Amino acid sequence: MGKDVAFLAEYSAGGAARSALELAAGAAALARQSGGIAVALAYGPGSGKAGELGAAGAVKVVVLGDAPAPAITFAAAASAVVAELRPLALMAPATPNGRDLAAALVGLLGLPAFGPVRAVSIEGGNVRSEQATLQGSVITSSEPVEGAPQPAVVLVLPSTFTPAEGGSGTATVTPAPAGEPGPFGRATVVESHPAEAAVANLEEASVIVAGGRGVGSAEGFAPLHELAAALGGAVGASRAAADAGWVPYQLQIGQTGKVVKPALYVGCGISGAIQHRVGMQTAENVLAINKDPDAPIGEFADLFVVGDLFTIVPKLTAEIRRRKGT
Amino acid sequence: MRIVVCIKQVPATTAEKRYTADLRLDRASAEAVINPLDEYAIEQALRLQESGAVETVGFLSMGPEQAAEALRRALAMGGDDATLVTDRALAGADEWATARVLAAALDRLAPDIALMGMASDDARGSLVPGAVAALRGLPLLSYGAELSVAGAHARIRRLTAAGFDVIEAPLPVVATVTDQVGEPRYASLKGIMAAKRKPMETWSLADLGLAAADLHGAALTRVVEARKPEAKPPTERVENASPDEAVGRIADWLAARKLI
Amino acid sequence: MTYRPTADHDELRAVVRQLADERIAPRAAEIDERAEFPWDLKELLARQDLLGTCFPARFGGTELDDIGQAILVEEVARADATTSLIPIVQKLGSLPIIVAGSEEQQARYFPRLASGEWLAAFGLTEAGAGSDVAGVRMRARRDGDAYVLSGSKRFITHGSIANLVTIFALTDPEAGGRKGMSAFIVETDTPGFSSPRLEHKMGIRGSPTAELHFDDVRVPAANRLGEEGAGFAIAMATLDRSRLSIAAQAVGIAAGALDFALAYAGQREQFGERLAEMQGIQFLLADMGSQTEAARQLTYAAAAAVDAGAPDLAYWTSCAKLIAGDTAMRVTTDAVQVLGGYGYVSEYPVERMMRDAKITQLYEGTQQIQRIIVARQLLRRAGVGRAAKPGDRA
Repeated sequence: MGKDVAFLAEYSAGGAARSALELAAGAAALARQSGGIAVALAYGPGSGKAGELGAAGAVKVVVLGDAPAPAITFAAAASAVVAELRPLALMAPATPNGRDLAAALVGLLGLPAFGPVRAVSIEGGNVRSEQATLQGSVITSSEPVEGAPQPAVVLVLPSTFTPAEGGSGTATVTPAPAGEPGPFGRATVVESHPAEAAVANLEEASVIVAGGRGVGSAEGFAPLHELAAALGGAVGASRAAADAGWVPYQLQIGQTGKVVKPALYVGCGISGAIQHRVGMQTAENVLAINKDPDAPIGEFADLFVVGDLFTIVPKLTAEIRRRKGT
Repeated sequence: MRIVVCIKQVPATTAEKRYTADLRLDRASAEAVINPLDEYAIEQALRLQESGAVETVGFLSMGPEQAAEALRRALAMGGDDATLVTDRALAGADEWATARVLAAALDRLAPDIALMGMASDDARGSLVPGAVAALRGLPLLSYGAELSVAGAHARIRRLTAAGFDVIEAPLPVVATVTDQVGEPRYASLKGIMAAKRKPMETWSLADLGLAAADLHGAALTRVVEARKPEAKPPTERVENASPDEAVGRIADWLAARKLI
Repeated sequence: MTYRPTADHDELRAVVRQLADERIAPRAAEIDERAEFPWDLKELLARQDLLGTCFPARFGGTELDDIGQAILVEEVARADATTSLIPIVQKLGSLPIIVAGSEEQQARYFPRLASGEWLAAFGLTEAGAGSDVAGVRMRARRDGDAYVLSGSKRFITHGSIANLVTIFALTDPEAGGRKGMSAFIVETDTPGFSSPRLEHKMGIRGSPTAELHFDDVRVPAANRLGEEGAGFAIAMATLDRSRLSIAAQAVGIAAGALDFALAYAGQREQFGERLAEMQGIQFLLADMGSQTEAARQLTYAAAAAVDAGAPDLAYWTSCAKLIAGDTAMRVTTDAVQVLGGYGYVSEYPVERMMRDAKITQLYEGTQQIQRIIVARQLLRRAGVGRAAKPGDRA
């Protein structure tokens, strides 16, 4: 049985996705435990350069294809590679693209699936995945059953692994065997409408300043943008703010939006209702600013400040700039 | 033109009663009969039927016998018929087993579009739609903010970080939609009464030509441990402080955690 | 009287509760504060076919049984008492036509009432005739093939927004209220009709309670319900049935207050423990819960009596309204008590629920009138009723 740890590496015009670097580091660490190597399945524009993932921890790279198409288009190619390699695990980012491609592999090859998980380890030769369920009230650890086909497909939340720093080396790059894309290739992008301003990818942000109903208006988000800039982060929002049209939908964090795991999450005027909480509760440090001393977010924040965000946030921005000397 | 919407019944857990920040009783989504994210798929299908783009809408669910309640509720919202796949061998089915069974049922129902919601509740992986598409050998149109039908094609509008794309595929397809499609309707009283008269079929694994052995015993995964999350240290609170004091304490806190 | 709620009743309850939790409850505080009728919620209820439950299917109604109607009202009232008046008063205003209208009259009006396109109201009470229904003074003078209505009504719920009001007036003043009163269907856009004044009330503030003026309003004879002189009987038959809705409303108000008190007790801590751990609070909650359940079960039993057409249905509905109204007042007052000082402030909903509950002890027959009805029936069954007097109801 294979001992390698494979992972999906997504490429776009902007280069390797942060998830690719995170999973590379994670796969390398797991492969050291399992006695195999980390193998990247790279796809998307620019994936031909994926040899650079060698510095991130990968030993081998298989390029599935470089068309700017939804990831699932490469399922047939990925399936052929995975069926031959039979790694111990295949990790995919818990993003729409990652989920779809992972799902196709689960269907095509009949694989055990886990996720989205917040931790992965090797226990007694088995892939063990840890997941928060029931809205975070229970942590379950799961493994494939005995005799289950390999690999275990694991959807991994952002920031579960930290990209390796200062690595070097180039991974060997081979193209996947040429083949028909199959049915998935029949779904094509017929129109592409860029937004006026690119919206930050919250799943990759290490600092998120999020606004909720308490922000009150689109203009109210201005101080949050300033704070995010001072902290080197991105702006997010609760569903209430997105539904009200104060921010684009892509910034919505929560049950029907993005699931994020930043190092710092700052919630301004956000009550912390469960639908939002499930999107951010695994953030490492949670700071909440709210006028309402009884807001539910006060129960799970690390630091809860009762006060008016419009007074505190600008002062905080200024103080941070002062301390950073910027 | 026919759409079959796959829905999942969320178990009716007793939610802890609490009140919300605006001092209303909090209705936890866990009380819903139909997985809330599936309601958007139902709404999208019914809108397409009302606009005349689609002739019939059916519902499909895999679950215990009780899942028939969710199907009745869907029929009360609209649509024409429902199918329940239930079998003792399916208890504890994981995502692959679920996909296998739904794919077999959908192959028998043969809709032009098999439509699902974004993800099932409690943050599960939402792998079922892609796996179903793979098993059926059909294209997948996923994460649609809107689904439409044009001739022999289906298309979705998908929001991206950089705007939106329109993705198209020839029918038949598997598709999923997000909460952007619009507010799901409530079942009306006439709808509830009409739902009782709409046909509902029940299928077992045998009816699908499957045996328990085909599903590797319903689950390829098992839970080895369940525990409470690490107790977090109690929340530090800053109250009744002047804004300058509060800001000072926040900045100190950020510095102590090496965030600035 | 026994009954068994069916799976259909459970499904109806679940659907209405979801709608009430998601759309009605969030509006309740605002409706009370602004004392504005919630037209948006009226549209929502109409769209969900919830205003047509008492009308026959052939007119677009859903012919829901009285237990189902009680469940509907209870679940809406649990979220907001004002909004629950929308289906309640739609039925109240229409009941005279249901019990005494001809097929032609029903065909003329029921479709628009069942769809919620039109709102109905019930115009019986006057400044000098509240509990004393026979004290009605308004006149209806025959003039050719019409009647000319003159006088005023007071405390008419939704009188200012209804499209149709069922009005009770004296066609034969000499004969007095019991024998000389007749009932009419009045379309409110008829010249001479006006609603110049609304009451400022303790509770159900979003429900307009109007004074109605009839300044020689001409109503076609085809709009008279039943025969001349049948008005008193029609009014009594109406109230015997409509008071069941008030019982259901009271149960709903109590249930909503109980829910909130339970949630609060589960979160509020004093002296190092939650209120829910303290026996004193537990005892309060237990009384609130058991009494609400008793009121609820009695209301359903009364609904079953109405559905069965029981000869003593008036006794049943009076018992239910009596018990439920007093229960609602007690439970909401105790809910405020559980919340302590917070219960008194408008930030929390229980003070509104307490203000709303009071009306269930007053309208559609005060609790004192209900006691008279109940006592009369008890004594009659025991064989100690008083001798019948001319003009008594059977």
